[in-house]
Amino acid sequence: MDFALTEDQTALKVAARTYLEDTYGFERIAAFADEGENDLAAWPELVRQGWLDPDLGLAELVLLAEEGGRALHPVPWFATAGLALPVYRAAGVEPAGPATLADGSGTCRATRRDDGWRLDGAVQAVLHADVATEIVVAARTPAGVALFGVGRAAASVSACAGIDPLRATSDVALAGAEGRLLAGPPSAAPLLAAIRSRATTLLAGEAIGVADRALAIAVDHAKTRSQFDRPIGSFQAVSQQLADGYAEVELARSLAYRAAAAPSAEAVACAAHAASRAAVSVCETAIQVCGGMGVTWEFPLHRWFRRALWLEAELASGPLEAIAHSLFGEHS
Amino acid sequence: MRLDDSEDQAAFRAGLKAWLAEQLPEATPSAPRAWSADELRAWSKALHAAGYAGLTWPSEHGGRGLSPSYQAIYAEESALAEAPDHAGVIGLGMVGPAIVHYGTDAQKAEHLPRILSGETIFCQGFSEPDAGSDLASVRTRARRVDGGYVVDGEKVWSSYAHLADHCLLLARTDPDAAKHRGLTCFLLDMRAPGVEVRPLRQLSGDTDFNQILLSGVEIPDDRVLGEPGQGWRVALTTLAHERGTFGITLTARLSVQLDRLVKTAKACGADTDPRVRAEIAELYVDLQGLRFTGYRALAAMERTGEPGPESSILKLRWSQANQRVSALALRLLGAGAAADGTDAFWGGYWQHQRLRSRANSIEGGTSEILRGIVAERVLGLPKSR
Ligand SMILES: Cc1cc2nc3c(=O)[nH]c(=O)nc-3n(C[C@H](O)[C@H](O)[C@H](O)COP(=O)(O)OP(=O)(O)OC[C@H]3O[C@@H](n4cnc5c(N)ncnc54)[C@H](O)[C@@H]3O)c2cc1C
Repeated sequence: MDFALTEDQTALKVAARTYLEDTYGFERIAAFADEGENDLAAWPELVRQGWLDPDLGLAELVLLAEEGGRALHPVPWFATAGLALPVYRAAGVEPAGPATLADGSGTCRATRRDDGWRLDGAVQAVLHADVATEIVVAARTPAGVALFGVGRAAASVSACAGIDPLRATSDVALAGAEGRLLAGPPSAAPLLAAIRSRATTLLAGEAIGVADRALAIAVDHAKTRSQFDRPIGSFQAVSQQLADGYAEVELARSLAYRAAAAPSAEAVACAAHAASRAAVSVCETAIQVCGGMGVTWEFPLHRWFRRALWLEAELASGPLEAIAHSLFGEHS
Repeated sequence: MRLDDSEDQAAFRAGLKAWLAEQLPEATPSAPRAWSADELRAWSKALHAAGYAGLTWPSEHGGRGLSPSYQAIYAEESALAEAPDHAGVIGLGMVGPAIVHYGTDAQKAEHLPRILSGETIFCQGFSEPDAGSDLASVRTRARRVDGGYVVDGEKVWSSYAHLADHCLLLARTDPDAAKHRGLTCFLLDMRAPGVEVRPLRQLSGDTDFNQILLSGVEIPDDRVLGEPGQGWRVALTTLAHERGTFGITLTARLSVQLDRLVKTAKACGADTDPRVRAEIAELYVDLQGLRFTGYRALAAMERTGEPGPESSILKLRWSQANQRVSALALRLLGAGAAADGTDAFWGGYWQHQRLRSRANSIEGGTSEILRGIVAERVLGLPKSR
């Protein structure tokens, strides 16, 4: 057993952090968030740097997701690499640009016409549908679920307000929209399930990054902010909370890396639960440690807190019951 | 990044499992069985004979010179099989490595083989009434005399001192030197005249730790471990070894406890209560977090010789989880939690665990001290004093 990052993995992580730190300061992140925008101009650079390369394994992707969470990386990388890319890979094609996945397997229907497939239905809260070049839509066909690429212009996309403006979602309506078949039955259904597991693991990685950054912001503050003629970090009531935050991050980090190295259902559920809990609780601790400043709009922490709450909503339902199920058997 | 054993490790694990299965009765579905002091000594002998004692010790001192991962595999499998500890856990895990590091040839020859075989049991005489968390303020005084020292003072909370043959004693040899400088470590013979051991009863009712009274105890020069005045460094070495693979042992034992909690929940019919299910699932997540953090710390140790910084949280978070497990178990028993002994569920096992685990966040460094270490050494926050 050697449960440590390899040299290549460490190098990848360091390179990602350096790039993101150089590119996205607090003010730039705030500007993107306030406009509810993504840095689409940076997309070609990201592709050039290899963030969508086919040779990235789950472990590498989790490290990139972690650094992305740390930086609140304002690009649709997760939607593309985490949700849509496996479908393109299965089809043997490359996405034309940022992409996302709309799981409409319960609400969308695909019909065969002479000229190809037409899709009808509606999917709510599709991540980054507003900026995706193409939306991968799961829809029912008479033979089972299939996955189609739908150009954004062919769909009706209406934005929804969300708690994390850097994670904008939209409702997508399809009325006879043309779709290109990427994965048909019977392989589409297991592919969707695999994507869910992969996406959960990546979001767990992202949550670690969110928690880690919030902790770093608070530790910095505790070293520099003085009250009663001493840095507040010398007060145990402050430092002990931060130490607990560190413990929370490290335990969750171990679980996220483990889910990436050996992605069983149990491993993914543990990672999802621990990481989203760490993100929320460490952000809260960090805000507490930053005092009044911590609860202002100008101070950057709420951007991470918002992401933590978004992640909690995505991740927190389910994993505990899945684990209880495996410990106790079916709830009768 | 890999989570499976290497070929050699897998072979070692399989051999160990088979050996444990042969030696031990099958793990119990309920409370574990108790082991008498004699049985423990016999177990230590068997371990030694089978080559499982001192796995990481150098081979010239009777060990097997293996890397810490083998010790971790041993810790894990023996805890899962509910094997008892080697009778001399303190000697094997802490004092032995310090003797390997600082001992003279004669000290090594005298103590190391006997520690391994379980013939010699060591206790650790660090804490005093006025020196607990602030260990460097020990006052037990070792006065220089011809050919050695004369020791007067008092030690407390010394685990297994009532069974011990020797004690790793931390005493002040130079009252004028700076706090950390004037200390020396001794390999004290517990049968020397002037050594008195008085059992202390813990709130659980156990009498595993003791007070040691030292009056006019003569310790010859050849019993000094390391240089005089270097006692603090020797003490830190033993504590560092305590942290080594200890987290892995604790986690494996916690996993056995969690198993028992699940069985208890089923026995009480609480396994369908969604709140109980969620709470136990959450404990399971904590357990797995500890487990894989232990593996990460181990990987760091295999590469650099030092456990990684994340190891500093293992004992802290283990104590919380272990306390939560027994607290929940008692709550599941409902009014039955007030019973004890033979009238109680599993003969009072959980009642005892609930009381005993209260010490977890105090023994071996309190949670406050551990958080302080994380804050200062890992996060780089300013000192609190
Ligand atoms: C079951 C058990 C077995 C033990 N076995 C051994 C043994 O074999 N050998 C041995 O030498 N010792 C042993 N100990 C002693 C143990 O290491 C000490 O009890 C422990 O280090 C705490 O010291 P103390 O009891 O003097 O508490 P104190 O140091 O007096 O602490 C009391 C309270 O004050 C807090 N506190 C103290 N200083 C600070 C600070 N700077 N910042 C914040 N909070 C602080 C503590 O966290 C604690 O809550 C054992 C203890 C127990 C409970």
